[in-house]
Amino acid sequence: MYNIIVCFKQILDIDQMKVDESTQEPILKNLPYRLEDLSKNAIEEAVRIKEKYGGKVIGITYGGDQATLAMKEALAMGVDEGIILKGYKENNPEITSDVLAKKISGMQYDIIIMGNQSADSYTGLVPGKVARKLSIPLVGNAIKLEMADRRVRITRTGEEKNLVLESNLPALVTVEQEINEPRLPPLIQIMAAGRKPMKIEEIQVNVKSTKKVIWNRAPKSERKRIVFEDVDKGVAEISKVLKGEVK
Amino acid sequence: MKAMVFSEKADLSSQMLTLFRNTFEMDLYTTSNENLLNFGAKNVFKLTGNNLYVDNISEKLAEMYKNNGYDIIIIGSSAMGREISSLLSEILHLEAITEVMKIEPKDGIIATERFFYGGKTVIREESEAKIFTVLPGLVDPQPVNSSSTENNISIDKDSAIKVVDQIEKPKSSVNLEKADIIVSAGRGIGKKEGLAVIQQLADVLHGEVGGSRPVCLDYHWLSEERQVGLSGKRVKPKVYVACGISGQVQHIAGMRGSRMVIAINKDKNAPIFNECDYGIVGDLYAVIPKLIEAMKK
Ligand SMILES: Cc1cc2nc3c(=O)[nH]c(=O)nc-3n(C[C@H](O)[C@H](O)[C@H](O)COP(=O)(O)OP(=O)(O)OC[C@H]3O[C@@H](n4cnc5c(N)ncnc54)[C@H](O)[C@@H]3O)c2cc1C
Repeated sequence: MYNIIVCFKQILDIDQMKVDESTQEPILKNLPYRLEDLSKNAIEEAVRIKEKYGGKVIGITYGGDQATLAMKEALAMGVDEGIILKGYKENNPEITSDVLAKKISGMQYDIIIMGNQSADSYTGLVPGKVARKLSIPLVGNAIKLEMADRRVRITRTGEEKNLVLESNLPALVTVEQEINEPRLPPLIQIMAAGRKPMKIEEIQVNVKSTKKVIWNRAPKSERKRIVFEDVDKGVAEISKVLKGEVK
Repeated sequence: MKAMVFSEKADLSSQMLTLFRNTFEMDLYTTSNENLLNFGAKNVFKLTGNNLYVDNISEKLAEMYKNNGYDIIIIGSSAMGREISSLLSEILHLEAITEVMKIEPKDGIIATERFFYGGKTVIREESEAKIFTVLPGLVDPQPVNSSSTENNISIDKDSAIKVVDQIEKPKSSVNLEKADIIVSAGRGIGKKEGLAVIQQLADVLHGEVGGSRPVCLDYHWLSEERQVGLSGKRVKPKVYVACGISGQVQHIAGMRGSRMVIAINKDKNAPIFNECDYGIVGDLYAVIPKLIEAMKK
């Protein structure tokens, strides 16, 4: 039986994001939110630990007004209880790690699961900072996870070799995309998710950060975008262009 | 300004020492056994110990940072580098910014640039952060004539994490960052055998084969060093041919520097067609053999 905490994030749907042609700035208005990619892998892994070894999964998200949506999806995937920490304003690992660690430090847990980096900001700082604040080991970049004798064992990817690592519990484990295929909860589970316990807490942030955004814009794309639906015509044109490039 | 530079990797170490040679006075800390004495660091500190991992390395680096009066910490961006930066930032109570492509100090403030929104945008920030991780592949390492002083530091404290096994991977065989022509395979090839036709096209174009993340990391149809994208290699060939790749932001972030992009995809709404110069809507198994035929003529 394990007490499992999974932390996840809601992000703007970056795949639907358009860019303003005159300023090169992303158009954020009316862009829908979605559960962040690696967060889904983290939730999936947390639920699998519960299913395999027994226990309970508590989901925590630090989010904005739409966070309930993300939490419902997590509950539908198998998370047992949700805690929404409300008040998220900006991507800032200093703030996020502080908010999460403060909450978790008052909780009972054996293992905390997070994605190793998030698909939008790609910072990768939050897990290590939370682990250090809680004085527990950071066991990072798992593509495989097993529990045995109240220890956690993971396979960690590396460029030259993969490492099999073991740590005592409690520990914080981060997962990579390849660890699992997140389940798509059936409608009936999403409906039932509404009945699971979900707490919302307003968060007052008192962390100082010196970070200021100067600009945030897309590199200019000057692609020709000549797309052929007629394969033979496309092959003829493109092979001509390619012959000019290849000696 | 005095910088503490760390990477466990030799290539990243020499890249960072080249990149910041004219900006900072640098000491390199590394666990690599390669010779890194001629890249312009004042001192090279080799970290040795029985069970080196991110926790005990971070604690040692924090101690050296405090003792040696550094102004800034620059770490090579890798899984290990990012983890060390996050732990250091807590131990030393210093703000960190990861995955940067640029570091420009000015009057106590540091301007940085990094990818944002999954690689869709680049964000420029100013901060008083003191810890940075730097993306690989920003420069070609250039040696200098002078030599660094070599020092050894042994780390006696054990890690809380035990390495119980190591699984060797095949060694690097390509340098995609240097390739003139790249033909990349995406999940759309559907099966490992599909690589044969990708390789044939690469052969007639005298290019290298690359791949999207699922092809390299999920299915292992290609080795990891062939992965193009935000979490893989950032390539800049003359021609990049994307076959069966949808064109998600994280992939585009790795091939945006290509001079010409050609896309083959059976879905005419695939985002890759917004990021290409020439595209063909069709089944890659039908299109590529025709293209190879036409190239041979
Ligand atoms: C933090 C993070 C980092 C990431 N880093 C990277 C990275 O570095 N590199 C990377 O690539 N991805 C990365 N990703 C993953 C990325 O989001 C996408 O999931 C991935 O790029 C999709 O790969 P794909 O295009 O091969 O597959 P898919 O998106 O599944 O696309 C397959 C395409 O093939 C087409 N197709 C199918 N069959 C055929 C056929 N017979 N003929 C022609 N076309 C066909 C389909 O129409 C489709 O467009 C990252 C994700 C995250 C969250």
